Amino acid sequence: MVFAKRSAKDLIVGKIPFLIALAVLTLLPLLNVGGFWLDVLTKVNLFLLVTLAIDLYSGTTYYLNLGVSFTFGFAGYSLALLNVYYGIPTEYSMLLAIPISIFFSLAILLPSLKIRGVYFAILSLLVPIIFIGIVTAQPFSLYLGGEGGLRFKQLFLDFARSLPPGIRLTFLQYSYYYISLAAAVVGYVIAYKIGFSDFGFMLRAVGQDEELAEGTGINTLKVKVIGFLISSAYASVAGALYASMRPPVTVDLVVPANTLIPPLTSVIVGGLGTLIGPAIANYLLLLTYELLWGLIGRWRVIAYMLLLIIIITIKPQGIVFKAYVEARKFLRGVFSE
Amino acid sequence: MSEILGCEKVTKRFGGLTALNEVSLSVVKGEIFGIIGPNGSGKTTLLNVITGLIRLDEGRILLDGRDITKLKPHERVKLGIARMFQGMRVFPYLPVYLNVELVARSIYGDVRLARARTSWALTMSGLLPEAGELPIRLTPYKLRMLEFARILVSNPKIALLDEPFAGLTPDEAEAMIGLIRKFNSLGVTFVIVEHKLRYLMRIANRVAVLNQGVKIAEGRPEDVVRNPQVIEVYLGVS
Amino acid sequence: MYVDIYKYILLFSIFHSSTYLTFSLGFSMLFGVAKIPNLAYGSLYILSAYVMYALTTYIGLEPLVAALVAILVAGLASLLIGEVVVKPGLKMPVSVFITTLSVAYIFEEFFRIEMGLRPITLPVYPGVTYVLGVPVSNHWFLILSASLLMFLSLTAFLKYAVLGRSIRAVAESWDESRRLGIDPLKVLRVAFFVAGVYAGATGVLLTPLKALTPTAGWGPLFTAFAIVALGGVGSVTGTLIASFIYGFFEQSMTYVLGSGVASISPLILIVLVLVFRPQGLMGRVE
Ligand SMILES: Nc1ncnc2c1ncn2[C@@H]1O[C@H](COP(=O)(O)OP(=O)(O)OP(=O)(O)O)[C@@H](O)[C@H]1O
Ligand SMILES: [Mg+2]
Repeated sequence: MVFAKRSAKDLIVGKIPFLIALAVLTLLPLLNVGGFWLDVLTKVNLFLLVTLAIDLYSGTTYYLNLGVSFTFGFAGYSLALLNVYYGIPTEYSMLLAIPISIFFSLAILLPSLKIRGVYFAILSLLVPIIFIGIVTAQPFSLYLGGEGGLRFKQLFLDFARSLPPGIRLTFLQYSYYYISLAAAVVGYVIAYKIGFSDFGFMLRAVGQDEELAEGTGINTLKVKVIGFLISSAYASVAGALYASMRPPVTVDLVVPANTLIPPLTSVIVGGLGTLIGPAIANYLLLLTYELLWGLIGRWRVIAYMLLLIIIITIKPQGIVFKAYVEARKFLRGVFSE
Repeated sequence: MSEILGCEKVTKRFGGLTALNEVSLSVVKGEIFGIIGPNGSGKTTLLNVITGLIRLDEGRILLDGRDITKLKPHERVKLGIARMFQGMRVFPYLPVYLNVELVARSIYGDVRLARARTSWALTMSGLLPEAGELPIRLTPYKLRMLEFARILVSNPKIALLDEPFAGLTPDEAEAMIGLIRKFNSLGVTFVIVEHKLRYLMRIANRVAVLNQGVKIAEGRPEDVVRNPQVIEVYLGVS
Repeated sequence: MYVDIYKYILLFSIFHSSTYLTFSLGFSMLFGVAKIPNLAYGSLYILSAYVMYALTTYIGLEPLVAALVAILVAGLASLLIGEVVVKPGLKMPVSVFITTLSVAYIFEEFFRIEMGLRPITLPVYPGVTYVLGVPVSNHWFLILSASLLMFLSLTAFLKYAVLGRSIRAVAESWDESRRLGIDPLKVLRVAFFVAGVYAGATGVLLTPLKALTPTAGWGPLFTAFAIVALGGVGSVTGTLIASFIYGFFEQSMTYVLGSGVASISPLILIVLVLVFRPQGLMGRVE
């Protein structure tokens, strides 16, 4: 259809920022940024998947699923349990842990899908809290590692052990970084395809008027379940990779402050349901957070939170996406010169 | 005269309020069936029950003789029941064409068929120029046309319209009447809920009157408006 | 000395429930008026406790005076949070989730930096009384009477005071109350202050029996969440009943399962309740 077509120039301008970002992220490690920043960037890459998980589901349907950190952590715990008690190497455990975690997220959070609004958010927030309670309480803590966490029997990419100690760490850091980058890029491309497909728009329709959606023929339950499934898959992949790269597996993986708030913040500051906005915000905000450490040390949490409050209070609809659109308009102007 | 839509002793209660009390209707294939009644008489609730958005407490709904009481709303849409909601109800942040295309996509498995039907429905309702706009940019009349396009795209057997003339100027209402007549002649059955008897009387073959959830009269429009009970209800309200 | 376990459970579930009640009442009322949960509510609990600690240890104020000042500080802080953080985001509930959560982390981090992670405590009301043969610290009786007083005064306030009735009207419907000539934003301010006072009072009352750390606000927050989910938003009677169900269930579970799992068992109960009755036990269908 005529109106659905985008001009070729639009596409080029749209892809250029993506390609630039990809190039920067690919080449950055070669600039000898140092182990600390490599670790940070690895983490940020994986958090992109969580950000996308939230934006794909909550950003479109407005069902605020705060149970994402449960899914994230549950994948990590499944991975560790498979490795510790069944001796399955981390790489293979991952293939099992991801479906297990998706399944449990669905089983636990699915009954709540009929609940709308604030109650759904509360309910989904209680799930990770309960999980933390279980993991740290007797007798479960004996098996789940309690506060100290679970230690893997092997490393992720365990063959690195045979390398000389001098380069072993560096090798792992670079490998983990590029694996996380690959996951982030593939995850983003797929998320974009889904988010702006007819299915993605059906998710948005559910968010904008669920009764109307159902009344005009959309199978809203099916759309919500599939959307939830996709979102859980993103969080599970992120959780499994994150846990395997940063042992041991502790409740820190599930604590909402660690694995829910940063990506959720990116989604809001980035602009709900826009995908590109949250993705950019993910990198900007998390890297800012790390930079603050060098500047003001332990006061960084307070400074960061204040910054967030200011941004969100002034522009509740998110700023990054709008800024991005403006930048694109400007670029398009430059192109047509 | 074959029945296309039947309601059998439909009862719906909201807490203590009986919104529908043993309402029975029989809509005949190819006709334009009007439902009138004062505010809060249960007209919208009846449409909600027919489309399945509200579960009824007692009674049955039949489509082409088949019991559809237990079906979900989206399943009923697939069977050929389309609905225009009271007030302008659209997805405000989706462009016009997507508002229509999503309906088509959920009905037809085939993407190309869905796209083709969407183009056709947008053309029929004169919305092609605005296809890429957001609904906020549309006039009330164009919004109504968007809702009409959404009905057309599902290729319905029966279309339920809830106050389609509300908010339209007389000229626009005429255009709406023209569209309804046109698609009626092409075989679509209409059930129209309306306050403005003026328009309904001109196009309806038969009219049912609801008052406080009870059907108090049914028949040809000119007979119904002379019914003393109906006059009392309408004068009592206004 | 042999003590019957049932007496123990019964007594202590009453004591614990009364603290849950005072804390949840403010949360529930605020939730009802603002339509959004205030995740910074737990911060007011630790704020007032820390303020009282500072006033008694560094300045040497009388505990009662210090407690009153601390409660007032919590009320004002709540007011400030409402004005600066909640009000601008009322139209975007998601953003209020984030901003109030951020406020909670700011408080937590501030006390972590200033006071450290070492648990501190406040003076206990001295003495022990035997009830049904069970020794009970007199401090529990102080808590119980304060809770009762606060419950009754809030009930009376909501029922008879003009301002209290406005709160209920706004909780019912913002639009409707505007038509009645009530300014919802003004009412919201009152609700924030009262809620802050209730959270602060719970903080100074309960801290002597529990340790205070920078993270001590989260437990009460989730308890309040659960109780409101169970009792229905904004319902005083619902909150009363839910608090006692919660307390009784938790105390019984503590004796059955041991304190670890018991602390989360009520949460599991609440998840089940919510799934089957989304509007809570006492709430109405919207
Ligand atoms: N979901 C609901 N919950 C509770 N009561 C409802 C619900 N929907 C409708 N009602 C009540 O049922 C009665 C019938 O409402 P309905 O909307 O069907 O009337 P109507 O005839 O369409 O009126 P109008 O002409 O104003 O559109 C009203 O008293 C209304 O308040
Ligand atoms: Mg109506």
